[in-house]
Amino acid sequence: MIDMRVAQYLLTMFIVLSLNFFLPRMMPGDPLSYLTGDPTADMPVAISEEVREKLLAYYGLDEPLARQYTDYLINLAHGNLGWSIYYKAPVSSVLLGRLRWTLLLMGTATLGYVALGILLGALSAWRRGTRTDIGLLVSVFSLGSWPPFFLAMLLIILFSVKLGAFPIGGAKSPTGSNAAGLKLAAEVAYHLFLPSLALVLTHLSGVYFLMRNSMLGVLGEDYIRTARAKGLRKRDILLRHALPNALLPIVTMIAMHLGFLIMGTMFVEVVFAYPGTGTLIYQACTTRDYPLLQGTFLLIMAFVMMFNLAADLLYSRLDPRVRRA
Amino acid sequence: MRRLLDAMREQRLALVGLAMLALFGLLAAFAPSLSPHDPAEMDTPMLPPNRPHPLGTNDIGQDILSELLYGARFSLFIGFLSAMASTAIGLCLGLISGYYDRVGFAVMRVVDVFLAIPRFPLIILMAAFLKPGLRTLVLFFVLLGWPRATRLVRSQILTERNREYVDAVRLVGASDLRILSRHLLPSSISIALVRFIMEFQHVILAESGLSFLGLGDPTVKSWGAILHYAFEYPTIFISDVWVRWAMPPGICITLVVLALTFTGFSLEEWAEPRLRH
Repeated sequence: MIDMRVAQYLLTMFIVLSLNFFLPRMMPGDPLSYLTGDPTADMPVAISEEVREKLLAYYGLDEPLARQYTDYLINLAHGNLGWSIYYKAPVSSVLLGRLRWTLLLMGTATLGYVALGILLGALSAWRRGTRTDIGLLVSVFSLGSWPPFFLAMLLIILFSVKLGAFPIGGAKSPTGSNAAGLKLAAEVAYHLFLPSLALVLTHLSGVYFLMRNSMLGVLGEDYIRTARAKGLRKRDILLRHALPNALLPIVTMIAMHLGFLIMGTMFVEVVFAYPGTGTLIYQACTTRDYPLLQGTFLLIMAFVMMFNLAADLLYSRLDPRVRRA
Repeated sequence: MRRLLDAMREQRLALVGLAMLALFGLLAAFAPSLSPHDPAEMDTPMLPPNRPHPLGTNDIGQDILSELLYGARFSLFIGFLSAMASTAIGLCLGLISGYYDRVGFAVMRVVDVFLAIPRFPLIILMAAFLKPGLRTLVLFFVLLGWPRATRLVRSQILTERNREYVDAVRLVGASDLRILSRHLLPSSISIALVRFIMEFQHVILAESGLSFLGLGDPTVKSWGAILHYAFEYPTIFISDVWVRWAMPPGICITLVVLALTFTGFSLEEWAEPRLRH
């Protein structure tokens, strides 16, 4: 069963790789517009016929499609993602420099929304039907409906511009970039706060709601009634008996949610000009740096799919009942 | 008492959600007669709110209120159409693949592949390379939307087809077609409806995201596109123009998504009584 899942993910990855190869080639117009930018752009680059042929030969674009395809796969296997036109550097090295910022932001946000979601979800279930529950339900839902980029813009305007409490963007302050050690860490955390907050608030609803439902289910079980009948304190029942069992679905949820989180992270990065991979995709789109766009895309896809597979496998480990299905 | 409270809460949420949706639907439907200007028409740029332009004008002198009303049209239309198509395809395929095992196996392998692909990054890539118009955009959303509905409906059919009443009708001599259309289809309508709402929500958010990144259909005014141009405007954060330029489209997107959340939540509780302990 596990082999089957892995095989299926490998197949999917192969399809993604192929899409990544064929999509640019389906683009309307000259294959070189991939390099020189859009022919319909304001200033298309004019090239002579001779240069054109040389360029085509140089990039292997005059080869038959099948040959180009195998070359592409071989290059990928060597970790060669191509050459970024805008940065004039290998795509892989541009990506590596950006990746840590995205991971930092996503990691912080995940910790935040999972912890807060579990806490509020459990509280809501425990107080089911009361004013607390309904208040939480409505406010968490309302927060979850904000498009991340809009909430991020509002946070900047409120906290950075009006109150001046936080930086308006970036990951470090431009003047203090030679700070080191603890000072640097403090500065990074200071810049990290608002973007993470935007992500935590917009992604809270999934975990919160799942936790609430799962907790409601657990609270209805016989062993909780037994615990109550034994006269255990409320807090002990909640933390010792109910919580661990209600947590199980959360694990899968986190991994499955990663796709959403990446989408949110991307927008938040763009709005805060955070130097991560999301901003990179935005830049790649606006500067028409197609190799960079494809490289970033592949990295993100591989990352999400890896996590999804891990969640699948982990879940069947954690809950023996799923293994049969 | 508690159950009564729950029932009231659900009903009220559904009512609020539906009322908000209806309001936006009306605004969208009557956008041409409600908006004071043609959204493409250009006046003086960056006019503050005044009589002819209640929300002022944008950086190229277009009336923001009119842009907003036409934006409602576009966002709701693309969301409704894509979600409808995905759900309809999912419903048909789910019915067939839940009833016939062999077809089911084949369809589910395709569904698994689709579900393993992260949707939004792929949409961005496709949009960046293929420069979609309205129709292509709908096609993308449907292409990536049908597998979820299919899986959901199929699993519903898988449990439903083993119920005694299905055996009973079969014994009376009902054909497969009749069992599918008269008995199994109605049983999965509610679940499909929930999926439709969620898909609607996803498409609205995804489309506004794409347009916010500047990857949507450049010829159409959508809420995300208004936000895109507002965000690109150099002094948007520092001056007070954001109140009349960035705020309204953002609030519109949020309200529509919220209305869908309310409706979907109430529907879900109604469709799956198990959640109602």
